[in-house]
Amino acid sequence: MRRRFDIRRLTQYGVVVVVAVTLNFLLPRLMPGSPLTLIAGVDVGLLSADQRAEIMARVGLDAALWKQYLRYWGDIFTGDFGYSFRSSRPIVDMIWDRLPWTLLITGLSFIVSAVVGVVLGAISAWRRGTKIDLGMLSGMISIESLPSFWLGMVLISIFAVQWRLLPSSGAVTSASDLVGWAHTWDIVRHAILPAATLSILATPGVYMTMRYSMLETLREDYIRTARAKGADERRVLFGHVARNAIAPVVTVLALRLGFAFGGTVIVETVFSYPGLGRMVFDAVSGRDYPVMQAAFLVFTAAVLAANLLADLLYPLIDPRTRTS
Amino acid sequence: MTVTGHRQRATTRTALRSSRLSSLLGLTGVVIVGALVSAAVLAPWLAPYDPTERVARPFLSPSWDHLLGTNDIGQDLLSEMIFGARVSLTVGIVAAAVALLIGTAVGVVAGYYPRRLGSVMMRGVDMILVLPFLPLLIVLAAYLGRSLLNTILVIGVLIWAEPARVIRSQVLSLRSREHVLAARSMGAPDRWTILRHIVPRTALLATGSFVRAVSNAILLEAALSFLGLGDPIQKSWGSTLFWAQERLAFLTPAWKWWVLPPGLLIMMASLGFALVAFSLEERIDPRL
Repeated sequence: MRRRFDIRRLTQYGVVVVVAVTLNFLLPRLMPGSPLTLIAGVDVGLLSADQRAEIMARVGLDAALWKQYLRYWGDIFTGDFGYSFRSSRPIVDMIWDRLPWTLLITGLSFIVSAVVGVVLGAISAWRRGTKIDLGMLSGMISIESLPSFWLGMVLISIFAVQWRLLPSSGAVTSASDLVGWAHTWDIVRHAILPAATLSILATPGVYMTMRYSMLETLREDYIRTARAKGADERRVLFGHVARNAIAPVVTVLALRLGFAFGGTVIVETVFSYPGLGRMVFDAVSGRDYPVMQAAFLVFTAAVLAANLLADLLYPLIDPRTRTS
Repeated sequence: MTVTGHRQRATTRTALRSSRLSSLLGLTGVVIVGALVSAAVLAPWLAPYDPTERVARPFLSPSWDHLLGTNDIGQDLLSEMIFGARVSLTVGIVAAAVALLIGTAVGVVAGYYPRRLGSVMMRGVDMILVLPFLPLLIVLAAYLGRSLLNTILVIGVLIWAEPARVIRSQVLSLRSREHVLAARSMGAPDRWTILRHIVPRTALLATGSFVRAVSNAILLEAALSFLGLGDPIQKSWGSTLFWAQERLAFLTPAWKWWVLPPGLLIMMASLGFALVAFSLEERIDPRL
């Protein structure tokens, strides 16, 4: 049983990868305008016909479409994403430079939003229908409607400009020779605002799932049994309800981790944070198409990895699903 | 993606309480949406200036002449906000309509023919939901170029998967209801049954998903415009924030009148539609 399930899931992941890569391959070739501009990064208008043909041949655009497609796959498997139009650096190196920063702030915000969301969700469900519940619920619905970039800008205005507590942009203080603890502290200070923005935005999703899951669990017979046998409320809440309610939340969390990655495009732009998201923004505004495409593949990989994680974690947390 | 289903046994008391709550939230949403839509419709009469004209010195602080001050080229920010409602709401509503059209078509077909065709279609829907949404949106918008129509299309084409899922599950259950079975057993062609008996019954649910989609689309439009991918001529609230960011308004006291208002308006618009959607969904399926 278990085995067949795994194979089906793996096939699904495989299909998603093929679709993402194919989409990436086709987009610059199908879009209006010359693919030469999009793939080779040259201004077509300025070239003679001969020059154009020469560049077409160099970047392999003169080959049959299926040959180009195969080569594209080959490049991906050998980890060759090509070069940036703007900086002429290998894109793989750019990704490795920036990945740690994105991991830092998404990781931080993941932990914060998970803890806060689960705790508030549990309290809210436990006190269903009270003022606390209503207050938290409407607060969370409002947060879901916040434009992420705007939240970032407002936090900068308040904490960095008005109160001068934290730096407004970047990941480290430039041109400072901080070492050791001072250096670490500098990095932490720079990460606080972007990570806080991401945390605030990610909390409602966790909260809603936890609250809903708790409400469902509270209706179970074994909870009534626990109460009937006289277990004190705190013990019922943490020992019985929260423990059983948390399983679906873990799945949602894992899935969100993948999407949180994508969300960094906007937040890192606001904070000029040198992660992958900012790289996408720079690539978009500089028409640096190969960088844009490589980043899209990295984001797809992140979402798939998160899905895989969720699938693997679920049976560990909720034994009820193991046999099915 | 495993979801555990449990039985639902809402007590009458909590059901009552939550229905009162949902109509209160719904009413709030209707009021917000109503106010913003009226502002958009009445913009030429409400706005003190033409938002495309340079009417004063750049970077003015708020005064009685210019309640929200002026931007970097001397346009009145209050008028820009009022006219921005037109762009933001139009994109949100039209993009959601596009999404609903695709979503209903896919949902109805996939629900009515659940075996081969339906399961293949839903596989496709699952796939779309797995692709990294925001990066894909940005990449598509960057390739297509900056125009209002492109923004609408990119958003609409990317957010139909959720409505499709909701509508499919409704069609799946409608399909085996008696009146549908009766129609089919009397030899009604599929097309007739779908249009006459299935589609009208999804209307309420479709309205819910439509309103929810508007709420999302407004936020997505704002994000695209903020990244500089919006229409350069038709300025939305997101575009105002793009320029505020470009001119570093958030590092100066100007953030209070240049950064705060457009963001609050985006939030109100998205929240208004979300509240309406919330109360509609609750009404359709009180178990939520």
